[in-house]
Amino acid sequence: MELELQSLEREARQLLETLSDSHGLEEFRIRYLGRKGQFSTILRKLGTVSEEDRPRLGLLANSLKENIERLFTERLTEIQSSSGANEKSAISLDLTLPGRIMETGRLHPVTQIMQEVCAIFENLGFSVAEGPDVEQDYYNFEALNIPAHHPARDMHDTFYVSDSILLRTHTSPMQARIMETRQPPLRVIAPGKVYRCDSDITHTPMFHQVEGFLVDKHVSFADLKGVLTVFTQKMFEQELPLRFRPSFFPFTEPSAEVDIACVICGGSGCRVCKKSGWLEILGSGMIDPEVFRMVGYDPEVYSGFAFGLGIERIAMLKYGIDDIRLYYENDQRFLSQF
Amino acid sequence: MKFTLDWLNQYVDTEGLTAEQLADHLTMLGLEVDAVLPLFQDLADLKTARITTAVPHPEADRLTLCQVAVGTETLQIVCGAPNARAGLATVVALPGTILPGNVKIKKSKVRGVESCGMLCSERELGLSDSHSGIMELPEDTEHGQSFIKAMGLEDTLIEVDLTPNRADCASVIGIAREIAGKIHRPLRLPVQNAQVAQTSRAFTVDVESSELCPRYAARLITDIKIGPSPLWLRNRLSVIGLRSINNVVDITNFVMMEYGQPLHAFDFDNLENGRILVRAPRAEETTFTTLDGMERQLTPDMLLICDGKRPVALAGIMGGMNSEVTETTTTVLLESACFNSVSIRKTARRLNLATDASYRFERGVDPEGVCNAMDRAVQLFCEFAGGKAEENGVDVYGGKLPLKSLTLRVSRTSDLLGISLSAEEIQELLESIGIRVKQKDGDTLWVNPPSFRMDIEREADLVEEIARLYGYNNIPVSLPEVHLSYPEQDSSRLKRAEIRRFLTGIGFSEAINYSFSNEKYIDLLCLSANDKRRKVVRLLNPLSEDQAVMRTLLLPGLLENVNRNIRFQKTAVKLFEIGKVFQPTKEGQQPEEITRIAGVLCGNRHGYSPILHFREEDVDVLDAKGAVEFILRQMRLVLDIDTDSLRFHQPTDDEIEPFAVVGQALDLKQGDTLLGSLGKIRADVLRGFGIKHDVYYFDLQLDLLCTMKASPKAFSALPVYPAVKRDIALIVPMGVAAGDMVQAIRRSGDALIEDVSLFDVYQGKNIKNGCKSVALSITYRSATKTLTEKNVEKSNTKLVSLLTEKFGAHLRDA
Repeated sequence: MELELQSLEREARQLLETLSDSHGLEEFRIRYLGRKGQFSTILRKLGTVSEEDRPRLGLLANSLKENIERLFTERLTEIQSSSGANEKSAISLDLTLPGRIMETGRLHPVTQIMQEVCAIFENLGFSVAEGPDVEQDYYNFEALNIPAHHPARDMHDTFYVSDSILLRTHTSPMQARIMETRQPPLRVIAPGKVYRCDSDITHTPMFHQVEGFLVDKHVSFADLKGVLTVFTQKMFEQELPLRFRPSFFPFTEPSAEVDIACVICGGSGCRVCKKSGWLEILGSGMIDPEVFRMVGYDPEVYSGFAFGLGIERIAMLKYGIDDIRLYYENDQRFLSQF
Repeated sequence: MKFTLDWLNQYVDTEGLTAEQLADHLTMLGLEVDAVLPLFQDLADLKTARITTAVPHPEADRLTLCQVAVGTETLQIVCGAPNARAGLATVVALPGTILPGNVKIKKSKVRGVESCGMLCSERELGLSDSHSGIMELPEDTEHGQSFIKAMGLEDTLIEVDLTPNRADCASVIGIAREIAGKIHRPLRLPVQNAQVAQTSRAFTVDVESSELCPRYAARLITDIKIGPSPLWLRNRLSVIGLRSINNVVDITNFVMMEYGQPLHAFDFDNLENGRILVRAPRAEETTFTTLDGMERQLTPDMLLICDGKRPVALAGIMGGMNSEVTETTTTVLLESACFNSVSIRKTARRLNLATDASYRFERGVDPEGVCNAMDRAVQLFCEFAGGKAEENGVDVYGGKLPLKSLTLRVSRTSDLLGISLSAEEIQELLESIGIRVKQKDGDTLWVNPPSFRMDIEREADLVEEIARLYGYNNIPVSLPEVHLSYPEQDSSRLKRAEIRRFLTGIGFSEAINYSFSNEKYIDLLCLSANDKRRKVVRLLNPLSEDQAVMRTLLLPGLLENVNRNIRFQKTAVKLFEIGKVFQPTKEGQQPEEITRIAGVLCGNRHGYSPILHFREEDVDVLDAKGAVEFILRQMRLVLDIDTDSLRFHQPTDDEIEPFAVVGQALDLKQGDTLLGSLGKIRADVLRGFGIKHDVYYFDLQLDLLCTMKASPKAFSALPVYPAVKRDIALIVPMGVAAGDMVQAIRRSGDALIEDVSLFDVYQGKNIKNGCKSVALSITYRSATKTLTEKNVEKSNTKLVSLLTEKFGAHLRDA
């Protein structure tokens, strides 16, 4: 057995000298050093030799195996360090070829903006609620202090399904729906589709809005300005000049429209901002006490603000889209740009 | 609401303010300025001129040879107008001038005589239709000046987008009042505090309902000479888009714009019995012809102005043909009244007749302003229509309201606005626009809004006024102090967001289509007569047939998208949409809104991935199946084969979606519930959508999938012992489904089988007819030991005999 061991060691040592690639080395490792390799096979036979020889032979076998292992490691390192240079010269690869990656699809730009808007308000602790597209006249108008035959109904070109059922013209009905079922404090945004019978280069009969409202004790108009200022700056990722302008919505008082300095011309006046230097981006106001009364909140105790913004408009401003109809043609040449 | 800067200046001195500054003030007062337009810019090059001599043209009888003084120059101009005469002050277009209609004036020769410009008529300048001669300017007009300056035409048009609450600003005086308050200058009113001296003996007025007509005042003007209005008046009206009719009608329109009070002039001689009666239509009065010549259908809830016998006007909306002022009118009864806004609105809606008068009455006209406007119009009738006004008139004022009195708390105002205001500051702000304020105590103010501010009814309305006058931009910015609470989010919404993102990862782009659709698509998809998706929610007032019903399927929209993309040479299409479909419920109730997800696939499987690496090959039905499997996997919903588990089911001919190809379609079911389907769309259906390519689809009821229980994420220990793989190829009859074989192996109960996968299904050469070869790769592993060859062989043999028994399979090599 001693001879057998020594000849195996010699054979392995000589073979190792001749090996020059990692593949050969791996074969070598399996043949000699692996679990089923020749050294292991011999070591397993130790059980059959006499007890007095066993310690000596065991020691010898192990030391020879360790020696081969050491030489193997050295050779391996040697080959590995030289192989880098070898491969470079061996294979010529055209690295101007495109990477191998499957093309992915894109989210619709309206979804992208919607998600951005929601994320900003979610980070401010708002929850998100959704409501029906086909709405009752009551929630779309009455509960928002717009009785039948109020001229404010002219601000909404409404699609009707029946006398009392319509396609919601704004996401504001969610104010009444949420407040009816929950108690303050409230911080909610309600994204969704809205409908107006109006169609031209700047209007589509369906578009997307996000409604938001906050109700608590001691909420002021200054707070409304604060929250919407934070939103606008996050949305447009810059310190844009902002202006709050008196307006009218039957369900808020005071009502304000919010303009940002025109993102196209920077405020000097262009076609997009109709030379005013300002772009209207959202409507807002302090929730009208009448709206509170209708849902059973005491307007002497609670106050709050609400706001609504159009997603398509924000996407148009952010991405420079000039025709709103593009949104609903789902042309992949359009979708793939965002 | 349109007006001009010069017009506004009649009521408030805006000296020192540019039109832009003024527009900015208005916008920041809540009167949003839509446009600021300098007027008559196309006439800017015209000059005033004086004809010094006028002699007949030597070669033409009708032409006059004029020497025309224009400042320091004297020019020879040939003129064809009959009124060209020496001494006439007129207007000249010098060579180089471009007249309205893009007419360029050049130096020319007319019948051999040089002509250096053109003397112009009103029509040539676009000022009126008059073309009887060249314009005759006032005698003292200096020549050589800018024409528009000399004529006072230099002006700027301002257009304000009025919000419905500011009825008081539907008048130039209303706008002027806001500006006067803003810049602290006095308001100049042509007439104020007017009253009617009662009572005329020439006519009577009766009002049936003071609720529908709170006030009706009238006066008689005789000796009227109907004729054209003076230039300034025609000009005022034309720049805001009103056509000049005659002096009387123009004056009523002008005063309406000035005061916001609609007026109507009746030809008194056409009023029977000298009587005015304001009442509802009688049963037999079903139609009435308004002065535009249209016959209008009357309903009993409308309001009419009648004379002694018959209706003569549709109250607050439009006068009647039978009593309108004409060229022969000599006596005018002038009406200045106030009508109920809801009643006017209903009538205007019903008749689809919106006029400048109805616009104002719908929003509310101040009953207290009725007489001021009437007196102003009477003044102008006397001045510009030769009229003589009867001293007495009639004023029926049954709807007089008490002076409004409101309480305003200083502390409440400050709290709501987030600023600290004193009682004195509030008082000063409100008084600047004519709101009367008295301090009651330190925190309470008594406030009397003027009658024309019909929108101010509550404390909240006053707070808004204060904020507006204080300036929104002067209010500080703060963030609300809130109690921290966790915003609960809707899990379905979050799931939808995830699925969207995942699907883009496998090459699908997201589409969004209109929620409404064309009903014909239901037929194009061949839905059967009793298919519930044929029951649609219909719009009463759709914009077009294409948008007439709420969609009951997502597919039509997506197929339109496929068509569009193919038309624009994007033939590889992978689109999905998550959206609602609508199923009617009961009459008069909201429909059920169901959220679905649908996708369409067409053309190259790899979309626009580099062709170098991904060979072009067309999608097939397994791509659609793969997309569905992917969605389910991402939702951690497990597919199985038991009837009560979520499973694919090959639909029978009765069950299959009518637009899908038989044999290339699958339903997704759980129990008897159909959760969706996928497959190839029939070519004839696609033709209906203008598509010639193969299109595959999937369509799932997403809201149901979202409510299903997801398999929980749970750790199982990683295997310690090695796996052994065995590949077997089996010949089975053609009818055997490979998927069933895989399921049979999974369910064989052999604990050593860790996994099984199909790696080839083949039929053809070397395989017996009516059979196919199914190649499976089976992974064996034990959790407790390294498997021996013997272990594996035993399991494998058992497996093959199971498959032989169940599917008539035999090993391919055997």
